Amino acid sequence: MALPEQLSISIGNIPMRLHIPEGILREKARERYAQFLDDAPDALPIFLNSWSADQPCVVDNESRESRFTYDWEKSSLRLEDRSARFDGVRHEYGLDSLIRILLSVLLTAQRGFLLHAATVLRQGRAYVFTGKSGAGKSTVASLSPAGSVLTDEISLLRFVDGAWHAFGTPFWGEFRAEGANVHAPIAGLYCLKQAPEDRVGPISVREALRAMLPNILFFSRDRQMTESLLRLLSEFVGSIPSFELFFRKDRHFWSVVTP
Amino acid sequence: MNRETVVLNPRLAWREIQGRVVVISPEDSVVHELNETASFIWKHAERGRNVSEIADLLTTEFRVDAAQAQADTEGLLAVFSQKGLLAN
Repeated sequence: MALPEQLSISIGNIPMRLHIPEGILREKARERYAQFLDDAPDALPIFLNSWSADQPCVVDNESRESRFTYDWEKSSLRLEDRSARFDGVRHEYGLDSLIRILLSVLLTAQRGFLLHAATVLRQGRAYVFTGKSGAGKSTVASLSPAGSVLTDEISLLRFVDGAWHAFGTPFWGEFRAEGANVHAPIAGLYCLKQAPEDRVGPISVREALRAMLPNILFFSRDRQMTESLLRLLSEFVGSIPSFELFFRKDRHFWSVVTP
Repeated sequence: MNRETVVLNPRLAWREIQGRVVVISPEDSVVHELNETASFIWKHAERGRNVSEIADLLTTEFRVDAAQAQADTEGLLAVFSQKGLLAN
């Protein structure tokens, strides 16, 4: 039975059960992740702000050696074998940042990763547009039909059911949370370039990897995890058609993406 | 003959992608994309070859003379060292 302090969510089919003692923070989180509420039984418990082990919930006592730790501003994340702890979380922005960091770690073992990219659904397939800040991700999203955008800022890409899929995320630009908890097979990766004309051209596997690497969200300093990420990215660019998209920042770019 | 063993930096993550080695330093997220010759040297260093053995293999693979292969190998290993790709 769910305790009142709990908030169960699932992002990219990664179930997490947040234990948030502070009511205001919990309600803000409930509002922010409203589209991602999911009471999966095997969710990873995440205890916020030293949520005490003497409360009626099982804390992982078997493994005291953390799989992953990360300090972000004045907060910290500690991932153990069967639970995680976030400490020093004062507001929903901090919580959101720690969830992204945690997801980047959990996804690597689940054949997935986070990419700075906008993703738009079209005819049941996902088009992923990546680029640095200012490249045009939010413009691509704003020029796409309402309801078709999975995210305008951070895409979650994961190999499931024999294919690479893009998942909706609550991670949007300017801290908006408009994503839907849906996923679709990926049609292509488009590396954004501003230009005076709309055109698209294929790029090689190595060029695609080169374009993606600076836009990957990854926080581990562990060699094995980094090699796992490299293997995943290699699989991704080896199986997903990749392109450079030169565009004028108007809606006509779709005519060259899906002629 | 330079029989010095080449020891790659064990903290680095790497993968061969379409014949080229991509190396990432997890500590600072710096990415190195090696060219064809450097990738060849990297892969043979990883297999435990010493400098002269790598230079010999380079002679066969790229059809260059022994002196050129030795110079290329030592030159690229010096670059590896400068960029922190070798063990201290």
